[in-house]
Amino acid sequence: MTDTTPVEPTDGQTRDLSGARDMIVCENVSKWYGDFQALDGVSANIKEQEVVVVLGPSGSGKSTWIRCINRLEIHQQGRIVVDDVELTNDLRNIEKVRSEVGMVFQQFNLFPHLTIMDNVTLAPIWVRKKPRAEAESQAMALLERVGIPEQAEKYPGQLSGGQQQRVAIARALAMEPRIMLFDEPTSALDPEMIKEVLDVMKALALSGMTMMVVTHEMGFAKEVADRLIFMEDGQIVEQNTTELFFSNPTEDRTKAFLSQIL
Amino acid sequence: MTAATTQERVSQRVPLWRDVIVLKWVTQLFLLLVVLGAMWFLASQAGDNLRARNINTEFDFLERPVDIQISEGIDTHPDTGGRALWAAMVNTLRLSISGILFASVLGVIVGLARLSDNWIVRRIATGWVEVLRNIPLLVQMVLIYSALTALPRVGLDTGPINGWLHISNKGISMPRIFLADGFYQWAIVVLLGVMAAYFVRRHRQAIQDKTGVHTSPTLWALGTVAFFGFVGLFIHPAFSWLGPVFDGVADLLDSLPNAVPQLLFVLIAVGGATAWIRRFISDRRSALGHLTISDDDWFRIAFTAVASLAVVLLIFRWSGLSAWTLNSGRDLFEVLADKFNVDGAARPFDAMRPDIIQKGKFPNYGKNGLTMSLGFASVFFAVVFYTSAFIGENVRGGILAVPVGQTEAAKAVGLSRGQIIRHVVLPQAFRVILPPTGNQYLNLTKNTSLAVAVGMSDMVQVGTTVFNQTGMTLPVVAIWMLFYLSCSLTISVIVNWFNVRMRLVER
Repeated sequence: MTDTTPVEPTDGQTRDLSGARDMIVCENVSKWYGDFQALDGVSANIKEQEVVVVLGPSGSGKSTWIRCINRLEIHQQGRIVVDDVELTNDLRNIEKVRSEVGMVFQQFNLFPHLTIMDNVTLAPIWVRKKPRAEAESQAMALLERVGIPEQAEKYPGQLSGGQQQRVAIARALAMEPRIMLFDEPTSALDPEMIKEVLDVMKALALSGMTMMVVTHEMGFAKEVADRLIFMEDGQIVEQNTTELFFSNPTEDRTKAFLSQIL
Repeated sequence: MTAATTQERVSQRVPLWRDVIVLKWVTQLFLLLVVLGAMWFLASQAGDNLRARNINTEFDFLERPVDIQISEGIDTHPDTGGRALWAAMVNTLRLSISGILFASVLGVIVGLARLSDNWIVRRIATGWVEVLRNIPLLVQMVLIYSALTALPRVGLDTGPINGWLHISNKGISMPRIFLADGFYQWAIVVLLGVMAAYFVRRHRQAIQDKTGVHTSPTLWALGTVAFFGFVGLFIHPAFSWLGPVFDGVADLLDSLPNAVPQLLFVLIAVGGATAWIRRFISDRRSALGHLTISDDDWFRIAFTAVASLAVVLLIFRWSGLSAWTLNSGRDLFEVLADKFNVDGAARPFDAMRPDIIQKGKFPNYGKNGLTMSLGFASVFFAVVFYTSAFIGENVRGGILAVPVGQTEAAKAVGLSRGQIIRHVVLPQAFRVILPPTGNQYLNLTKNTSLAVAVGMSDMVQVGTTVFNQTGMTLPVVAIWMLFYLSCSLTISVIVNWFNVRMRLVER
């Protein structure tokens, strides 16, 4: 890795979030795909401004869980409450939650038939009903924030993977979300492009965004996360503050996992 | 210097039989010679054989009279072979174009229905597709024809039919709407509506820009025009005063002497030149009032002045120009006055009902009312239903070809179901749907030639009759080939144009 900056605790790790209110509340969330149980009684609260990294081997239910939080997947048991709105079959609640929760996917999922500018402004114009000029100036500001304002008139197919993922982040931020979900945002990227995406995510975390990140980037987790959650077989095995999680894991499975990837 | 010689030596070193470029050209030329030779051989053989058997390949039969009755169309008793083929061609085009339009609409509905969440809708659509695409088109066509012949007979002996729709075993008839005398007065009302719409649109746009609320300015503008159009249906005689006004203008133009337009033209020419020169000079003056005029500028000024004088000279030398202007102006206003000097009760639109002039028979369409003959209806419904099954599958495939991630990303930014379909799924599905659907359009056009089975006079049926009567098989076949080929190429060009436009931009 070209990342030479030393891993050091940021404001995020030393800050005390115990007084903050809960942004996401999950109680006993379970989900089955046919006979296969993907989530088995997952309970966790995420506080405002908190950055939580979800770890675990593949197939452990990490992605399923965060996809339940904006109802791309539907949980079958338990409760999920996002910013005081419970996710039920009520269409209005789903739309409210989705417009407050931004999501970044492993495969970017940019709209290939639209320019970068149109990708970013599509939802603000049609969901937030913003005038086009205002949406475009906001989009330009966001593209500058993720470092690619010069690509605004290009199409996603003309950009590198790292640039596409940064556009995807800008697209999610354009809805001015209060929570950002990241589903393995760097897993589909070449190693030299991972850093540019992680840098954007770090800056976002420092700005006070509530974030839930599924990733295998341990450097990012150590540096940015307030709390780590380790999952296996659809259950939360262990969760702890970043320092304690790495220095003093309690469960054997966590130890085994950490020894493999560190 | 040395580099050049090295390169020369390198290029000299490659023997001709190993040089890729030489080999490529030789192969191309050789193939071209083979193809041309084969064509020349076949053509000369065909020519010899035709001459030996005394087969005529001239196209003069197009000018000669034939005895053909065409089931329907622009000419039911054509004088010549050419006219008969022309009428048949119009029938085929009418079938193809209307068929393509309706098959597209129905196909999209079928395709969407196959993807519906509703179990019953999905099953019906699946049944529709499976039944229609697995039964030969000819069978379907004959089936529809026999079903239509079982319809009740024409109820009336004579006179116009009542109501909007009349279905009988002589065809499907409905009234035809056409422009009537009051149309021009009504058009003035609509014109005012268009002007009003411009301001309405600007107003709504201003609100949207200020507050961000979506005010649908275009919809409002269209609504304004529609409102004026509707009101105009009742108040259009209010503009009948325009008739006398136009009459007056025409009379005035008629009575004016030639000198008036001459004077007008001179004024325009001299005035325009003077205004231009004045503005030019003031443009050249700096902010402090300092004037700099280069030689070039002097030339431009002189040229403008001389040109305007030349125009003045031309106007006085060529008095015909002024007379022509006056006369054509008068004619124009007379025509306009004619359009507005109508009976006050004249309607802008009128509908004409199908008229039964002969017991048990509708007249041909195109004159009074719209009548779809049995033959036309059976071919039309058969090709539309049949092709809709295939287009429906294309639509379904195109929508399924859009990755699930696209819908998920669109959901995640909060777009609603309708917005996702409109802005994300359909634009991407369209480029997958279009190429195979273009093929279906070609198939539909070619399939209309089955019309011969139900006695509809299309290109093939009439062509067959023509060559049976004249013996000109080869020329008629050549005309058929040319006709269907140009139809297909036209469709291809249109579809390809869309394809290029829809292509995704990649590096």
